[in-house]
Amino acid sequence: MSMSEQLTRNVASSAPSSALEKQGATHRRQDVARFLLRYSLPLVLLLFVVGLGLSNRTFFTFSNFRVILLEVSPIAFLAVGETMVILTGGIDLSVGAIVGLSGVVAALIAQNDGAWAATFAVVGGVAVGGLVGATTGFLVSVAKVPPFVASLGAATTALGFGYVFSEGRPISGLSDQFLAVSGGIGPVPIPIAAMVIVIALAWLALTRTMFGMHVYAVGGNPQAARVAGVKIRKIRFLVYTISGLLGGLSGVTLCSRATAGIITTGSGYELNAIAAAVIGGVSLMGGRGSVLGAVLGFMILGVVGNGMNILNISPFYQLIIKGVIIVGAVFTDSYLNQERE
Amino acid sequence: MLDQRPLQRQGKTSAPALDGAILKGGDAPGDELPTDAAAIVCDNVSKGFDGVPVLLGITISCRPGSVNVLAGENGAGKSTLFKIISGQIAPDGGSLSIFGQRVRRFTPRHSQQLGVSIIPQELASLPDMAVWENLFIGRELCAGPGMLRRQEMIRQAGRLLADFGVDVDPNAPMRSLNIAEAQMIEIIKATTRDARIVLMDEPSSSLSRTETERLFQVIRQLRAKGVCVLYVSHRLEEIEAIADTVSILRDGRLVRSAPAAEMTERQIITEMVGRDLQAFFPNRPALTSGATVLDVEGLRLDEAGPSVSFSVRRGEILGLGGLVGAGRSEMLEALFGIRRANGRVLLDGQPLCLGRPSESIRRGVAFVPEDRKRAGVLTSMSVLDNTTLPQLFHMTRIGGVVLNDLRERRALDILGRMLVRYSGLGQKVANLSGGNQQKVALSRWFAACEPRLLLLDEPTRGIDVGARSEIYQFIDELAARGLAIVLASSDMLELINLSHRVLVMRGGAVMGELAKDELQQERILRLAMGKGDHVNV
Repeated sequence: MSMSEQLTRNVASSAPSSALEKQGATHRRQDVARFLLRYSLPLVLLLFVVGLGLSNRTFFTFSNFRVILLEVSPIAFLAVGETMVILTGGIDLSVGAIVGLSGVVAALIAQNDGAWAATFAVVGGVAVGGLVGATTGFLVSVAKVPPFVASLGAATTALGFGYVFSEGRPISGLSDQFLAVSGGIGPVPIPIAAMVIVIALAWLALTRTMFGMHVYAVGGNPQAARVAGVKIRKIRFLVYTISGLLGGLSGVTLCSRATAGIITTGSGYELNAIAAAVIGGVSLMGGRGSVLGAVLGFMILGVVGNGMNILNISPFYQLIIKGVIIVGAVFTDSYLNQERE
Repeated sequence: MLDQRPLQRQGKTSAPALDGAILKGGDAPGDELPTDAAAIVCDNVSKGFDGVPVLLGITISCRPGSVNVLAGENGAGKSTLFKIISGQIAPDGGSLSIFGQRVRRFTPRHSQQLGVSIIPQELASLPDMAVWENLFIGRELCAGPGMLRRQEMIRQAGRLLADFGVDVDPNAPMRSLNIAEAQMIEIIKATTRDARIVLMDEPSSSLSRTETERLFQVIRQLRAKGVCVLYVSHRLEEIEAIADTVSILRDGRLVRSAPAAEMTERQIITEMVGRDLQAFFPNRPALTSGATVLDVEGLRLDEAGPSVSFSVRRGEILGLGGLVGAGRSEMLEALFGIRRANGRVLLDGQPLCLGRPSESIRRGVAFVPEDRKRAGVLTSMSVLDNTTLPQLFHMTRIGGVVLNDLRERRALDILGRMLVRYSGLGQKVANLSGGNQQKVALSRWFAACEPRLLLLDEPTRGIDVGARSEIYQFIDELAARGLAIVLASSDMLELINLSHRVLVMRGGAVMGELAKDELQQERILRLAMGKGDHVNV
């Protein structure tokens, strides 16, 4: 979306006359209204930030921003992966379970002391996530199992394995080296740095590479993509694998922060990740949306959550407000799209 | 074999209350119909899509109790006329009267109330529901509010099936029926509704000979009951068998409407194709013999099907003629690799691996499919993305990073050469006109490098005259540059004037080959209709 807008440039301006006629005041007012609607999400986010900053001293502090970013980072990883999957017209319900499973696997390895063990723990945790993702990807792309079912099955199986490995208990007693994974390089915690890197890489991959264009093509219209030479199966397999890897990354960092591997850690996270993507304008039909949109989505959820915590709003009410935000964002989006057609 | 008055008999044996639901006027249908008024009167009806006229001032009238065949080439406007009469779309101009009543609201529901019933070309059945449910959907028999009378409906459905000679259990799931049986279910559905006008859009296309015979019996019964039947057909023998009147549409105009007895087969064919667009086509230089680019041997789409062999040389445009469903699109799809097939295909003397479109593209095969919006372009993506998608691998660095400057330059270049009219590279293809979309669908195979073989399936379907002639010009230039081209087209003049040679297909097989000096519309049509290639039509 963002890329194409950047590129909009008049090559052969076809109907300038009709554009000139639209100079009336009513049109300008309509344009303002459309602009407000179109950028309602960033505006809401901005309003929230300013409002909270004015009403509360603690909000506008470096440490609070760090708290917010640290809080959103697990969902951020998942939302990036989920965005790629949804862009191809699929859905990945397994990432929540992957968070739990890879946390457990990492914790089991990280019970051993030493830098090597910690490295293996991180790699192992991420790899397990990738394995689950690849399985879902295989089921979707080759076996043609609908993504909803394939990822649901993968989630359930992954949870089961997690319970078996951990015997249903939290895995604690992790090495200091592994706990350092959620520590900081200077003032910046590693999970935050990892989140920024992942977002940047995903954005580059989706907007600047052939892979990214093929992802949009598959989601936009698989039949037409095939005619254009896109390897649909490969693309589908890859996005689920990436989503699984990112789920693993999320699980490992969470495990390190929590100082224990707990299989139930990520329960429900997949829905938050999907919500973040959808709030950010990623269409569940596929083919439309961007990583930056998803970033906006989880930032809104994070900032609003943080703000409501600061304002001492009960978590029960927070859920209600979150629900309204999700539906409101998608409603605005589809309203704008209808109008365009 | 069939009871002479099966519908009436059925009406008498069912309870009177149910009679109306299924067969209103079963006993004496003639009394209800105003015998003096025409069933359908179209007065100067016109319709266009996206500025392209599809129907131009059609004036036609059909009497009750007659079978009226509409004939014409693909795209002549037959289906559009049907859609207007059945209320699916409203005309832009002119008026439509049904039994003397001027139609002002064009909704399917309203036209059903007026007694119009349509058997669509594509079946609209519910595959997971039972046959009886499909027959009664939308007019269920009820006892009390919302309570279905299942047993009664199953009983009546069984009787209807028996009346029409369809040997199917009413409880069978619709999915288990073959196409012909499903087609008969549609016919039963349409003709037993309170129908005074029945529209049939190529209903016999999937029926066997005996089933077609049965269909004709049903049609004759309907005629005897005073129903006005409008029937679209490509088959000349059907016109002879059932038509009372024949109306011929060509390019959206009604060129002839006369009693069937007054028209010969030859006249019908001539009227269907005769038009002059000659000036439209570029002056094509004669083909100088070049090396063989494509060599197809024994290409089979399925085990039992016929096999096809042919070859195309450098700079040659090979036309594929035939009626809808003749297997031309399927063969092109198989050559490109998006349809399963086996056989030996050589491209530039090297075997081409079937079933892998991305591999075909790398080898230099380009394909512009028939269905532009579903397969030709990606409407959700930008002009830039569409133009560069198939050959993107030529515009990337290591790791698949797209070289955007190069990509934009290439896109601007080819779009300019193709005279595509668009507002910016970021514009969504969905917002381009049909002609410009088609130009994008063609341009994208030339963004980074020239292909070896170009497969075109109905390259000018549904686009305006200006874009059409520009596309012809471009195709001609390509051939002159040495590209081998396979062109499937239902547009006779396009086929004749662009091709160096034409293969005529029917039922997936090649019926005959016509060299450039043998290219006559009549000969192509005769082969396409399976009449054999006799010069004296």
